[in-house]
Amino acid sequence: MKHLLLLVFSGLTLLLVAPTSSQAQSRVITGQVTDIDNFSLPGVNIYIKGTTTGTITDIEGNYRLEVGGTNDVLVFSYIGYLTKEMPVNVAATIDVKLEEDARQLNEVIVTGYSYVKKRDIIGAIASVSADDIKNLPVVSLDQALQGKAAGVQVTQSSGTPGGGITVRVRGNTSISASNRPLFIIDGVPVEDGALALRSFGGQNDNALSTLNPNDIESFQVLKDASAKAIYGSRAANGVVLITTKRGSKGAKTSVTFDVQRGVIDLTNKLDLLSSEELVTLQREAITNAGQDPDESGIIKGVTDAVNTDWIDQVTRQAIMEQYQMSISGGDEQTSFYSSFNYRGEEGVILNNQFLRFAGTLNIDHKVTDKLKFGNNLTISKTRNDRIKGDNFLDGVYSGAVKSLPYYFPFDEKGNIIGPGNSNYAGFPNFNPVGQAVLPRFQTNTLKVLVGVFSEYQFNEHFRARAKFSVDYNDVAEDQFEPSSTAIGGFLASVGGLGYGVNSTGTYITYINTNTVTYNQTFGDHVINATAGTEFLQRTETSNFVQGRLFPSDDFTYITSAGIVDAGSSDKVNSGLNSYFAEARYDYKEKYFASVTTRYDGSSRFGTNNRFGLFPSVSAGYRITNEAFFPKNTIVDDLKVRGSYGFTGNERIGDFAFLGTFASTTYNGVTGTAPANLENPDLQWEVTREANVGIDLSLFSGRLQTSVDGYSNLTSKLLFSQPIPLTTGFGSIQGNIGEVSNLGVELSVNSINFDGDFRWSTNLNIAKNDNLVKSLADTLPLFRGYTANGAGNTNIVKPGYPLGTFWGLNFLGVDPATGDAIYEDINGDGQISPDDGKVIGTAQPDFVGGITNNLSYRGFDLSVFIQFSYGNKLLNFSNTALLNSGEDINNNQVRKALDRWQKPGDITDVPRYELGNTQNNWHSNRFLEDGSFLRVKNISLGYNLPVRYVEKIKAQSIRIYGSATNVFTWTNYTGNDPEVSTLDGSTTAQGIDFFTLPQVKTMMLGINVKF
Amino acid sequence: MKKAALIILFLVTGFGCTNFLDPEPVALLIDDLALNEAKDVPSVEIGLYGAFRGIAAPKVIAGDMTADMLIHIGTFNQYREFSNKQITSTNASAAALWGSIYRTIYVANFILEKLPGVPGVTEAERNEVTATARFLRGYAYFVGVYTFGAMPITTTSDLESNRNVPRSSVEDLLAFIDADYTAASGNALPEDPVNAGFVSQSAVLAARARLALYRQNWAEAEALTSQIIDSENYALVDDYSDIVLSDFTDESILEVGYTVNDDPGTDANYGLNDLFRGRREIIPSNQTVVALNNDEAGDRFRNISFDLSELGGVDNGWSVAKYGTADEDNNNIIVFRLGEMYLIRAEARAQQNKLFGSGSALEDVNVLRSRANGAPAVANSKEQVLQVIERERLYELAYEGHRWYDLVRTGRAKVVMTTFNTNWQDKFELWPIPLREIQYNPALQGAQNPGY
Repeated sequence: MKHLLLLVFSGLTLLLVAPTSSQAQSRVITGQVTDIDNFSLPGVNIYIKGTTTGTITDIEGNYRLEVGGTNDVLVFSYIGYLTKEMPVNVAATIDVKLEEDARQLNEVIVTGYSYVKKRDIIGAIASVSADDIKNLPVVSLDQALQGKAAGVQVTQSSGTPGGGITVRVRGNTSISASNRPLFIIDGVPVEDGALALRSFGGQNDNALSTLNPNDIESFQVLKDASAKAIYGSRAANGVVLITTKRGSKGAKTSVTFDVQRGVIDLTNKLDLLSSEELVTLQREAITNAGQDPDESGIIKGVTDAVNTDWIDQVTRQAIMEQYQMSISGGDEQTSFYSSFNYRGEEGVILNNQFLRFAGTLNIDHKVTDKLKFGNNLTISKTRNDRIKGDNFLDGVYSGAVKSLPYYFPFDEKGNIIGPGNSNYAGFPNFNPVGQAVLPRFQTNTLKVLVGVFSEYQFNEHFRARAKFSVDYNDVAEDQFEPSSTAIGGFLASVGGLGYGVNSTGTYITYINTNTVTYNQTFGDHVINATAGTEFLQRTETSNFVQGRLFPSDDFTYITSAGIVDAGSSDKVNSGLNSYFAEARYDYKEKYFASVTTRYDGSSRFGTNNRFGLFPSVSAGYRITNEAFFPKNTIVDDLKVRGSYGFTGNERIGDFAFLGTFASTTYNGVTGTAPANLENPDLQWEVTREANVGIDLSLFSGRLQTSVDGYSNLTSKLLFSQPIPLTTGFGSIQGNIGEVSNLGVELSVNSINFDGDFRWSTNLNIAKNDNLVKSLADTLPLFRGYTANGAGNTNIVKPGYPLGTFWGLNFLGVDPATGDAIYEDINGDGQISPDDGKVIGTAQPDFVGGITNNLSYRGFDLSVFIQFSYGNKLLNFSNTALLNSGEDINNNQVRKALDRWQKPGDITDVPRYELGNTQNNWHSNRFLEDGSFLRVKNISLGYNLPVRYVEKIKAQSIRIYGSATNVFTWTNYTGNDPEVSTLDGSTTAQGIDFFTLPQVKTMMLGINVKF
Repeated sequence: MKKAALIILFLVTGFGCTNFLDPEPVALLIDDLALNEAKDVPSVEIGLYGAFRGIAAPKVIAGDMTADMLIHIGTFNQYREFSNKQITSTNASAAALWGSIYRTIYVANFILEKLPGVPGVTEAERNEVTATARFLRGYAYFVGVYTFGAMPITTTSDLESNRNVPRSSVEDLLAFIDADYTAASGNALPEDPVNAGFVSQSAVLAARARLALYRQNWAEAEALTSQIIDSENYALVDDYSDIVLSDFTDESILEVGYTVNDDPGTDANYGLNDLFRGRREIIPSNQTVVALNNDEAGDRFRNISFDLSELGGVDNGWSVAKYGTADEDNNNIIVFRLGEMYLIRAEARAQQNKLFGSGSALEDVNVLRSRANGAPAVANSKEQVLQVIERERLYELAYEGHRWYDLVRTGRAKVVMTTFNTNWQDKFELWPIPLREIQYNPALQGAQNPGY
């Protein structure tokens, strides 16, 4: 595969390089491009006007260009500088000084359905550009946002490639509806979150990993009401607008190759007991329970003859590789961008890998000065070889952590030990090596994201645009667990002769957006207005079939199954009809105001509340444009802004408002049984948002700071509200309660040194206080995992944030008895779940990231640090790995050796007694400080000097290396502070339950641009 | 060109239309349509049976695991709590049984409310479905009152009244059950339904007999059981193994029906074959293994099986054989069968001092002993006869969910259970009311069973 790709690449290179090099003509012009202070400018784009012939300047700002005649005009353009045109005449040397663009913030950015100059933004918008993420070897585009934008918290739930990622903008607004922001790529809301049907024990797949992050030009994260109210009922969790790369008009065709290869390792390995240590401990536990350890077959010198390091057995040093080719260019009428990407990334767990092929073609064509057409097309195919994990008894990493070291994965002939072998530990210690290597869990995803638009400029004021797009996702899961695995061979209910599942899910969103834009200038008054309609339909179809009892493990498809005994087929439609309008006004770029509104109708809501209105207003004031503001100070821009408005959240699943009966069977007969209680009043959640911000630019733009403060209140929370079972149901879907988010965000971009040595720092810090203000009644809601002796691990309770942990209060270990002492909160003389209390929260005090970029001549270095402070992490794995002898089916962590052993021992680990559950009840004993500071990425690059680059007719050659998750400082004693089982859960975040830790990637790459 | 552009814009815009907002669910039936015409009646009745079936498995856990017949060696904490006699109000099995009971009651109430208004239903069908609903509702409350004590009584499908309802008294509950059973008696139900998976007239008699036994109405219990035994609608199977290995035997009066396609093993939490065999969460206690491996028990030893490869660590190698594996189609759970009728009559007779000879307690016991090829029962006093019956119930009804209820109603729980496990406390004679019920039902606050 690799060879084939390289072959294709080199072939294409020849084809594309050949024509440009044959354009040699009469004479050569050389020169140097500098700024007005005579600092050389590398990378300046130079082309002959009206042609595609051109070049760029090298590190010293020098260029060399062959021109045709004396009438040619050279165009010099460089980001942040004013474009300059120079006639060639007869000169052989043309040196050019480019002037800095005083309005270098004239850069326009996409805000929903329109564009605005970046410096005139009066909403809270965070931007991340392609340049910010070019060194990060990220699989998916949501991962690229990690630590890059204030108020955007991105958590990778585990070290699984292509796995689930949690993205939160300004905290959690919702208890049970989705908290994921709306991801919009080139105007199309795309699938996010998990697509696969089958659960893998807490870790999901990620729909956004089907897209190639290298095709992204920019991200805009819309954070406040003025920016996002235009997305109405879907905007409450923030909106991430993603713009893909497009060709630029009249630019020379350029081809870029980028190759990355690297190795991946575990960041951290748990310190577990050896056989000898464990056998001693288990014998003690059995003896303490009044039983004879010899009778239980746990015998010193016999049982511990084998000592297997199961984590080593199931992990490996994995390989990642990525090949990317992109071509872009254009003439006056047509421009294009096209790319092809292959990425292969192995997981550190055996047999786990993620492969992606993605291709993109974006074209813009100007038919006349008034009529424009364009398209975007992305096709990608991913293959994800998944492995079970976390909360699965037969998970691989979870199994390896728990497995007893005195078993061995292979027999004397080197075969994997499986069911039927006398050395197979069986339930619950299934051989995790076999669980990794033997099953087939292949998920193939095909994504097609396609859109066409036409735009017509009626006159200088009016423009109309229509776009029709489709987001097509097809997920096929091809799964087989042979008789040598736990499910396929051990589980009696499956029959011991293999287990196959095949499922497909197709998720298609059709969307049509039509907008009309009006611009008018009356003297110093500028008005921009947009109005539009949007129609969206989503269709979800799924099919599933299960087979068992295969003739042998050589037959792995359901066509050979002895019994095909489960299957289903389903279809769900949903729709959204919307009307929206926006008007912006500015006076002398000094006073700004805008009004936005959207009117949304959603099929997910009850007939009584089908449509909703989401308005917002905002205003801004640029003080630096006032006559009284002193000129020539260090302050070159100071703007204050504020906004207020309403957004909604409609992501609760379909048909939740209907009272329904569903099919059921009894005794071979089919009938109907109640499925859901009716609630015709069901409606969207409403978030009332207020935001104030200050943008400050100092020292000619070298220090730029933005500070935002916000207060958001989400009401009418969509909630599957628990009700007593005496009603015949466990819950009813309702709109109950309020959640508030109050926060401050700071971002600073500073150029510390400029010139040959350049050092810039980007810092962002955000603090968000999340609070449940009220619920439908005063009763708390319990969430998370079931917790022994305390009910549940999490609670939703007014006055506390979402993600609050619940449990008993562990007071210590009784030095006399070795038993755990818990606080008897209700004073009834016994410890029961009624003695539970709030023991901490997963919400951090603040989170943020710092990126330092340093460059000197051809070298550049980037160090990206990410941190989270003040959050608690529940080490729920330790309820099995430090279990006080509750059972002897799990290996234990080293801390178990600190257990109480005899009267007088002072320790915080209770005594070990087989079968005793009380010493292992869920309490704050398992809760730890989850703060961490992590060097997320260090990358070093070198741009080769021009003299080498020119030899192969290239524009630039860059060699670079990058390392992720390099160092981590934390007090957390588990695997990794940056994990979360129950991927994406809001009420139960920050729980580590046998979750695969983050991985360390060391990568080398080369980027060649022609 | 301008025209072309306008046409394109117009065409694309035309896609919008509001019927996107009213998609039809394909796998769900809207409430108002669930029971509004005659052909809906059998479907909803199956829904009622489906709800009732949910009671059966957790009741086996209650009957045999709260007592001394099962121990836990797996990972689910709810079963570990029963095994170690450290039961708490967060126990998931308690919530499962409570939920199944009220689910059954809800569907029964829904039918009893809606059925009179459904047009086109024949009188006979209306009476039969009404009797079924009242019988299954009565049975649900019967299991409830002896598991949880005085439960709340709900008689409607109305959400608001059912979410705020206090505990009744035990007397009121028993009267309510009696009224439901009485209403189901008579000829409304079939004498001989398709199979014992559906309610028959005899099932109502059997339920009334068990209620009479629990309430110590000895004469009534004897009369009702005699009516069933004498009817000869049912016959003891010759080979006791058939009870373990087969569904719908000749002596089955009522059992909850599963097929391979809706096997309980797919419900990992409460599917008995999954708990006993698939996951091997729960195994017979050593005491029960010894008891069943005894001359008196005879063929009842077949209730359990041994596998050497399972032996080791905390595992004694024994499994519950009843309910088989998911592939074996013997996973139905018995609710009433003829064997139990003999035992009810034996106990009723013993309590009326009909101890020996023809028409006596010992005679009934020996019918079962001889069927199982066990040693004939010998006893010299009423005390001893009652002891014989207690043991006989253990052998004959093993893993059908009776043991704990028997020990509690005969006042023997404390004696038997404290020797089995020193953690035993009197509070375990009732299960706790599930914590969530107390949290979400204001009328239950502060009304937990004593000791929890």
